[in-house]
Amino acid sequence: MKFEDTSQNLRGRLRAVQALMLLLLAVLGIRLYVLQVVRGEHYGEIAKNQRIRLLPIPAPRGVIFDRKGHPIVDSRPIYNVILSREDTRGKDLRTLVRPLSEGLGIDADILRDRFEQVRSMPAFESLAVKQDATPADIAWVEARQLEFPELRIEQQPQRRYPPNGVLAHVLGYVGEIGPEHLKQTSFREKGFKPGDFIGLSGLEQIYDEYLRGRDGYRKVVVDSRGRIQDEIEIVPPQPGQDLVTTIDLELQLAAEEQLRNSVTQRGVIIGLDPNNGEVLVMASYPTFDPNLFSQRITTRAGRAEYVQLLNNPETPLINRAVQSRYMPGSTWKIPMAVAGLTQGAITIAQSNIVCGGGITIGNKFTRCMGNHGSPDIKTAIIRSCDGYFYRLGLKMGIEGIEQMVDEFDLNKRSGIDLPNEVVSWTPSREFKRRMQPKNPEWKDIDTVYASFGQVYDVITPIALLRTIAGISVGGKLYVPHVLREIKKIGEPGTPEFRPGRSFERPDPKLVPIPPDQHRVVAEGMWGVVNSGGTAGRIRMENFDIAGKTGTAQVVALGKDIGKNKDHSWFVSYAPASKPEIALVALIENSGFGSTHAAPAARGIYDVYYRRTHPEETRDDPVAQTRRPKNTEQKPETELAHRQ
Amino acid sequence: MAAILERKRLRDFDWVLALLAVGIVFFGTIQIRHALPNEGYWIKQLVGLAIAIVAMLAVAFTDYRRLINLAPAFYIFGLLLLVIVLIPGIGIRVNGQQAWIKVPGIGQFQPSEFVKVTTAMMLARYFGKHRVQTLTFKEMIAGAVVLALPIGLILLQPDVGSVITYFPILLVVLFLSAMKMRLVIGGLILSILMLPFAYWVGIKSGFVKAYQQERINVILAPENADRRGIGYHTWQSILTVGEGGILGSNTDSGYTQSSLRFLPEPHTDFIFAVTAGNAGFVGCILVLLAYAVLLSRLISGAKRAPDRMGMLVIMAIVGGLTFQIFINIGMSLGILPVIGVPLPLMSAGLASLTATFIAIGFAISVQLRRFVN
Repeated sequence: MKFEDTSQNLRGRLRAVQALMLLLLAVLGIRLYVLQVVRGEHYGEIAKNQRIRLLPIPAPRGVIFDRKGHPIVDSRPIYNVILSREDTRGKDLRTLVRPLSEGLGIDADILRDRFEQVRSMPAFESLAVKQDATPADIAWVEARQLEFPELRIEQQPQRRYPPNGVLAHVLGYVGEIGPEHLKQTSFREKGFKPGDFIGLSGLEQIYDEYLRGRDGYRKVVVDSRGRIQDEIEIVPPQPGQDLVTTIDLELQLAAEEQLRNSVTQRGVIIGLDPNNGEVLVMASYPTFDPNLFSQRITTRAGRAEYVQLLNNPETPLINRAVQSRYMPGSTWKIPMAVAGLTQGAITIAQSNIVCGGGITIGNKFTRCMGNHGSPDIKTAIIRSCDGYFYRLGLKMGIEGIEQMVDEFDLNKRSGIDLPNEVVSWTPSREFKRRMQPKNPEWKDIDTVYASFGQVYDVITPIALLRTIAGISVGGKLYVPHVLREIKKIGEPGTPEFRPGRSFERPDPKLVPIPPDQHRVVAEGMWGVVNSGGTAGRIRMENFDIAGKTGTAQVVALGKDIGKNKDHSWFVSYAPASKPEIALVALIENSGFGSTHAAPAARGIYDVYYRRTHPEETRDDPVAQTRRPKNTEQKPETELAHRQ
Repeated sequence: MAAILERKRLRDFDWVLALLAVGIVFFGTIQIRHALPNEGYWIKQLVGLAIAIVAMLAVAFTDYRRLINLAPAFYIFGLLLLVIVLIPGIGIRVNGQQAWIKVPGIGQFQPSEFVKVTTAMMLARYFGKHRVQTLTFKEMIAGAVVLALPIGLILLQPDVGSVITYFPILLVVLFLSAMKMRLVIGGLILSILMLPFAYWVGIKSGFVKAYQQERINVILAPENADRRGIGYHTWQSILTVGEGGILGSNTDSGYTQSSLRFLPEPHTDFIFAVTAGNAGFVGCILVLLAYAVLLSRLISGAKRAPDRMGMLVIMAIVGGLTFQIFINIGMSLGILPVIGVPLPLMSAGLASLTATFIAIGFAISVQLRRFVN
């Protein structure tokens, strides 16, 4: 270097600059080694995952059939407008409220609510902002792909329930999984995520894991804004398993018609096969439309409808068959009669007890509806003599009544495959202590009350029917159930195979009733309908119904008018000699059992009889032309969906 | 005579340097095409390369001393460009920075890239006189003023990234102008100590903006940073680089980080991430080696320069290039915050490409005249 000045050591300084340059490049090289060689696979995986997206293809749920194969619930494909979380990165969802509510006609408040909900849920992948989108909605979204790339259209099966709330309480409904479910580990472990639909009530809830299909997915490549660039793979969804219920749709419709036409339009009718516990009919009124939950709950009108249902004093969402307790009135006398005989309080030879028109305990007179002299047990049942049963109860004592309750499982759940069954309240010293803490001691008058279905006897219709059905077949108490069969899918060994199953029905609980004693009670019940008893008006010519009416006081005597009228009960089975069907009918606050519940039961027996004896109805030309061969046509046409 | 001169010129022309630079540009053009296959940036880059080569040859075959003697004129012309870019209507605003001038037929042109060369020339001229004693305080101030004028104008755009790349030009020139070693070491220690303090003051006074602060936080802990928000660029760049692995990614579907637009600015600021994704560790090391050879070649050219002025202009260029390469690649590798600085010779951009080639042309010109005196 010609200009070099040794004192400045320029050569050294140039070397220092070069060294610094190489050092900086070396730092970059080391960092490259770390990123690409050491952690390369890790980052590669993340990079790949962010451009691959699995878009779920929701699987349709299984179809629900009645016992004769009529479809009751199915699914139809609808289109939803989906908001994808991935693509709302950094976007304030609130800014979407206005354009979406205006463009798609969604209620702004509801949209805001839903955005608020998902904000706290980091796992949320997508959110259906509008269900059942119209072609206009779809066009709106597609025209705005640039403006709102986070929106897409997705096909989804929507659950479709029969109109008019038919069988609603048994079927239950599906709805979007709620935050409270997702907090439970049991739901999270099964891989549920926000936006999934699950069974929230009834059969849909109990057998959700079978009815639920397996979602398929589309594996797609997306760009950074979430726009789909390519489709790599499609795994089709697998529909859920079909479910066959034990319900007989024709009888069910008849039962609902009876309740709908009753005076108060409130009540329960349950029918089951006493030989195996299969529930043929379960109607609870008032009812509701399950389509509300599967279709309309995200609209303003739908929410209002839901609030109305919740606040309705007539509790339409409650399945009265298993979730309500009632005093059974005189229907209670059937298990009392059986227990009186089996416990030896009375014998067949000597079953006469004085009626006395009532009974005086201490200074309190409890009346009978008539004066029946000194009837035997059969007459006491036929006439529904209270005086007889007051004294029978005193003979058995509270211990005897408790023993009866225990034997007939009246203090337990029936075990039916429906959610939220409640336990009946049954008489015991302990129950009184809890009910009346100021007057806790069990007295004879309490035994009197407990022996004719009042005050301390507060039971569910299903528990009562199970007892009556059990007695009708000589003491075999089957577990009532609604599931007949879950159908299998595929063949064993194939990947899509899902085994079928039926209701895992334990053996019936056996209550030993000697045949002669059983016959006496059965004859009494037969007499109620066929031999001048309280339900004589529903007698059928060729079909022997055995039954017992009940009129359960709701309030003190004298106030039992209008809304507070007695509950009208009728428990029964038929044919009396060889029971095929047992029925309980309850019309709330309507009055006498014989005037309301018994005729309602008769309405169902009529349908049952017509169907089981087609040869005898052949002279009916109308019936013949309408149902030339197949008697199962009718329910299908009645169930036809109106959409 | 002329023939002898011509032959001598061709013999002394630094072919290695020129071809290495052109080779890097070609490799970079392939990466640009890779990054955005459906857009014409790679063609523009080739056009730019042609212009740049012409500019380089023009400079190389001109006596650098004549050019440096004209340095004040170039310098003032550069400042004028920086003023013009600020005039609304002429300057183009991109991402909030008014840093581009529209040139009909070619596209956009970023004067701050070009002014680096004129500033380096101005500094070389001022400090290039024969030196017998150590650097005086007065000289240091004068150097600072030369630098401060363009920096001040660029800050008005505002383009902090460009400004940062100006400092090493002055620092290298001062260092090589017999700055007292005491001062160099003292300054080094002081700046290392002052950095956190200055950062703190910057935050408190609001000079360092919240997003800039976040970008720095991202570097400190990229995995914990807000990967969707402020940390997005750095995170996506790290992913792209990492996915490249040892030999480069061969994504089955043919979709890449840049083609799916996960990686922002893949053809300019993040061209190195694209390269890393395509060419892998092996390819990246080769690129780093190419830069190392190119810069070393420039430094050895500086050592053989016939005068101090020639040495300084080359070294100022080396300082600027080295620092810019480090900033850009460091940003792509997630060790430096995101600053919009192009990677010399590889990023798409006419001004950056031409300015770099003009700088290389200077180096070649200096070498061509090493035996003249």
